[in-house]
Amino acid sequence: MEQDAQLVQQCLQGDGSAWEELVRRHTRRIFGICYRFTGNRTEAEDLAQDVFLRVYRTLGSYRSAHGGFATWVTSVTRNLLIDHYRRTKRDRVTDSLDDKMAVVENKESAGRRPDEQALLGELSGQLQNALTRLSPELREAVILRDLQQLEYAEIQTVLAVPEGTVKSRINRGRIELARILQQMGVRPA
Amino acid sequence: MTWTCDQVEARLSDYLDGLLTGPERAEFEAHADSCPQCVPLLASVRSLVGEMHAMEEVEVPPRLVYAILDKTLGPRETVTGWQAFLQMIRGMASPKFAYGAASILATFVILASSLGFSVKNPKIADLRPANVYRNAVREVHLVGARGEKYVSDLRVVYEIQSRLRQDDNNLRTTPEEVLPKSVPEKTPGQTDDRKPNQPRQQNRADQISHQLELLAAELPLAGGRSIR
Repeated sequence: MEQDAQLVQQCLQGDGSAWEELVRRHTRRIFGICYRFTGNRTEAEDLAQDVFLRVYRTLGSYRSAHGGFATWVTSVTRNLLIDHYRRTKRDRVTDSLDDKMAVVENKESAGRRPDEQALLGELSGQLQNALTRLSPELREAVILRDLQQLEYAEIQTVLAVPEGTVKSRINRGRIELARILQQMGVRPA
Repeated sequence: MTWTCDQVEARLSDYLDGLLTGPERAEFEAHADSCPQCVPLLASVRSLVGEMHAMEEVEVPPRLVYAILDKTLGPRETVTGWQAFLQMIRGMASPKFAYGAASILATFVILASSLGFSVKNPKIADLRPANVYRNAVREVHLVGARGEKYVSDLRVVYEIQSRLRQDDNNLRTTPEEVLPKSVPEKTPGQTDDRKPNQPRQQNRADQISHQLELLAAELPLAGGRSIR
């Protein structure tokens, strides 16, 4: 974390190699979050680029006193993912981003090629498919906790909600995910 | 108080993450282990969490980093032809590359010298496999012989030192033999084996050199060599 803060300072002083190092250190994680959220590699690539572009342009606003650089970048990623979801799902009736009850979406994971599915592995692919069927609030909570291994406090910072809400979303997300997999025939009843 | 299914469901993740207190955990398990609805729910969520934790990281597209850098820092200029060659040469001027190249060159020179290849007077014939093999065998034998000689010389020195220590102990225990019994009876200048008019150190030195000569005669490698 301290090394990230040093790299940020060097970036602000115009050091391009420091920025390149920051990109290399965080690309895998950010792309992972974007892919797990969207279920689509092409969308995830575009979103990851947008994340780093926004981070690059607003680097001067980062304050280490407010948390680690990784947490800050994850917050930017989450905000972009939500914006993207709103843009692409504007017509969806079950939009639950306005504090409505979370509802399971019957959404197909669009855009995944058959070779991608084979590469992911059958169970992993089904899990990813089920993940994209969760509502955005539950999906992001489960991704950050169970796939990115973030602590509750970090997730609280990223989502900007109380810790109780974080725990509630993670719990509901896990239970809904298990039920979706059961409906898909992956889990026994 | 026995927990209900709703309570168990609400605290399911806390239980799996180990966040329940002792009494809460007992109440949870008392219901979850026997309820026909909660048992499969707990098992499926527990299995799901385990599988998600074991999921492999997503493979990053190989060009993503460069695409990000192009978008943020701007596209990098690609050079071709003579400019690319000059850029490569400039890259070799770095201290790291120079140090590496010098190390490799020194390694080759040492290896070639040990195999009999003369750096000052190089010959193509020295590179022939038969000559390389012959030179290598000769160098091995030379090194072996030098090592043997070194070990033998050490042994000689050790033997001499131990004999000297022995003689030193003998001299200390019997000092009367060195000094004459009746000094006033001898006239100055009279020579005999003991040479009493000479200082004690000279007598001792003469005895030591006599011992060394005997030792040299005994040891085969030191045979015929004068110690003095």
